Amino acid sequence: MKLSLSKEIKLPTAALGLSSIPKSDHVLVSCFNGSVLLLDPAEESWKQVGTHSSYASGVVTVLDGKMAVSAGYDGVLQWHDLQSNKTLAVEKIHNFWSWQLKASPDGHLAASVTGQYLCGGYKYEPGKEKEPSIKVFDTTTRATIAAFNHLPPVLSAAFSPDSTHLAAANMMGDIKVWNLKTKELVREWNTPDFTSWGVIKSHHYIGGIFDMHFSPDGKRLLVCGMGPMRDPMAGNGKQTWQEFDWQSPEATKTREIKDDERGRGLMETLCWHPSMPVFCMAGRMAQGNWNTAIFSSESGSLIQGIDNKTRITRGIFLENGRQLILAGAKSQGAPEKGKWKEFGRLFIYDVSP
Amino acid sequence: MKRRPSQSTSPHCVESEHTWHRRKFLQGLGTGIAGSMFSWSGLMTPQMFAEAAKKQQKSCILLWLCGAPSQFETWDPKPGRPTSGPFGHIPTRIPGIHFSELMPHCASIADKLSVIRSMKTEPTEHFQGIDRLNRGAAPRPPFVRPTLGSVLGQQLGQLESPIPNFILLDPCPEGNEFKSFKRGNWAGWLGAEYGPVRLGGDYKIPDVQKLSDITTQDHEEREALRRFLTRKFENERQSAAAASQNAAFERVKGLMSCADLFDLEKLPQNDRERYGQGTFGQHTLLARHLVENGAPFVMVANGMPWDCHVFQHENYQMLVPDLDNIIYQLVTDLEDRGMLENTLVVMMGEFGRTPWLNASRGRDHYPNAWSMAMAGCGIQQGVVVGETDQDGIEVIDKPFDEKNLFATLFSALGIDPYAAYDLPGLPTFHRVEQEASPIKEVLL
Repeated sequence: MKLSLSKEIKLPTAALGLSSIPKSDHVLVSCFNGSVLLLDPAEESWKQVGTHSSYASGVVTVLDGKMAVSAGYDGVLQWHDLQSNKTLAVEKIHNFWSWQLKASPDGHLAASVTGQYLCGGYKYEPGKEKEPSIKVFDTTTRATIAAFNHLPPVLSAAFSPDSTHLAAANMMGDIKVWNLKTKELVREWNTPDFTSWGVIKSHHYIGGIFDMHFSPDGKRLLVCGMGPMRDPMAGNGKQTWQEFDWQSPEATKTREIKDDERGRGLMETLCWHPSMPVFCMAGRMAQGNWNTAIFSSESGSLIQGIDNKTRITRGIFLENGRQLILAGAKSQGAPEKGKWKEFGRLFIYDVSP
Repeated sequence: MKRRPSQSTSPHCVESEHTWHRRKFLQGLGTGIAGSMFSWSGLMTPQMFAEAAKKQQKSCILLWLCGAPSQFETWDPKPGRPTSGPFGHIPTRIPGIHFSELMPHCASIADKLSVIRSMKTEPTEHFQGIDRLNRGAAPRPPFVRPTLGSVLGQQLGQLESPIPNFILLDPCPEGNEFKSFKRGNWAGWLGAEYGPVRLGGDYKIPDVQKLSDITTQDHEEREALRRFLTRKFENERQSAAAASQNAAFERVKGLMSCADLFDLEKLPQNDRERYGQGTFGQHTLLARHLVENGAPFVMVANGMPWDCHVFQHENYQMLVPDLDNIIYQLVTDLEDRGMLENTLVVMMGEFGRTPWLNASRGRDHYPNAWSMAMAGCGIQQGVVVGETDQDGIEVIDKPFDEKNLFATLFSALGIDPYAAYDLPGLPTFHRVEQEASPIKEVLL
């Protein structure tokens, strides 16, 4: 498999969330300035379908592409009808940010995760939860069907391929999996390999699991982030993914990125190819050769690494598997003659076998 | 060291009598040469000193926000602008003034604070910025200007005090540039005795416990002998270094007598919970307690957590609310105890942070326009002075630098900012150079 850059699209501000739309070549992008955009990559044009009062952190499509759901650092969930181009509902669902929003593969559920990191101990251990850190919504009725507890901040979530289970992970590397039918917690474990406590600077916790995905067969859970650092302000922890057999009693770690195939930097997004046995991990490169890489899901080995010199926050393969789209941002930089740069980015890569 | 068995010179003497006479002899020698050095142990306990100090002592607590906190996420938010970041702003008790939404407690006591939004300084790197904002002037090697704590320790401190005149509470052994600064010469031309006593960690005083295998009597005899010999050396050689070291030993012995003051476990649990569980909150509470017991200057630090080139907003969601609560608890506690009018509280770092985000979505160093705050002794209440432009890029009204700031701090504490140091053989230095004006708007 090979990626080749087809297009780079500039956006006014950083892109945080990204979603494809079934049976469409348009995509949805959520941005720093709170805007939710319906974007045509071919025309490089967009129209705004929603606005949050702070960073719009995530957007997903549900109900076969008829509806888009967006969430933001304003703690608000918005429901956008993509056919009428109207926002149908705006609801405050969290007291703090929505860190990530995910949709179930069948489009009937959406989940948002939250939680503010507050000082809870002498070494700045995270404080206790003040509200449920995970909320799950029925996309047809827009009702909350589940609220789960986890130590905040909870940074990522994932639905299983059959939409029966939900996983969520936090800054401390704690991973939990719930059965959505029974609402029972079925598995929980910890991986210490994504969390730092700064020794040189930042004498508190930072890092965590920034994204997670179940494998296409639902048997494994893939997570990503950045390896531990003595000086988090260097941002030079190892680029890391780990895979777990979540159904085993101990949630055994089955694989992880090979040490000689990774550099350093924060990895923020994972996505599986719809038909080929590969997955993509992307983020920011502090040191190394790539910030975006394709791995074999069979061997776990690196197939191709790319450096687009950007902090990538979300990546998706299109439904047809022929394109990989990445959303992120470059440095905002100082304004020039009073004009701020367009520092958001969308990268379109063609995928060839 | 193995002690030699004592040898009596007379068959009629007993060991204890020789011991007693030797101790008194050495004490007498010391008393004759430098009587004031003994005065604290005989005349004044820590408790008595604290009572006397409460009546007249001015003090300063410096909350040193090392690493440089962002003005956008604290005192000078820019909502709706490209530089705003994800946090909003909230009104304060000062009409028309808003702070970051992360600071609701400070917003509720804004009418007790003075905020300067127009600090404009030069150093762009940590070590130089820490040095500049602690000494109040650019370096002029080979001369080393004393830090704020050293000057205030000298000016406000008491010679006989068992409590150190300059206390640095910082549990962090690392910190890159701040670590380098901590290892340097804090007291400069004032001499080592005006450097900080550095404490922190487990809220105890490390390495200041009498050796368990010697008696108190032995300990005092050794100390008296050391003092006698050192003073003899000073007189014969006119050694400033020996005088400084002698004073340093005095401080150590004073610490031993007031060790309990540094034990947070002796403070009410309710107080400890109010200040927050983190290191910085606990040490700020300790600072309040030390000032309450006569400490003239306490600097509270915790390494360099504010230097958020990476994970800016992920860190500040925790750091700022923690600081917000700490400032609120400290200022209201001081006021409730009738101490605020005699205690100057200073809250600052070494510069600010960039209006724009870098490639990691962090903020980098920015001395061009930044904010700090003060409260208490000699300071107006409910004042915000200076202004930056709509994006916080430039100061557009009343820029102030470190000299203006130090002139303000000294003036607020009733110390002549322009007095010259008495330094025979050295160029003339003043506490504040070039007669830089204080920030009049914040002075009572």
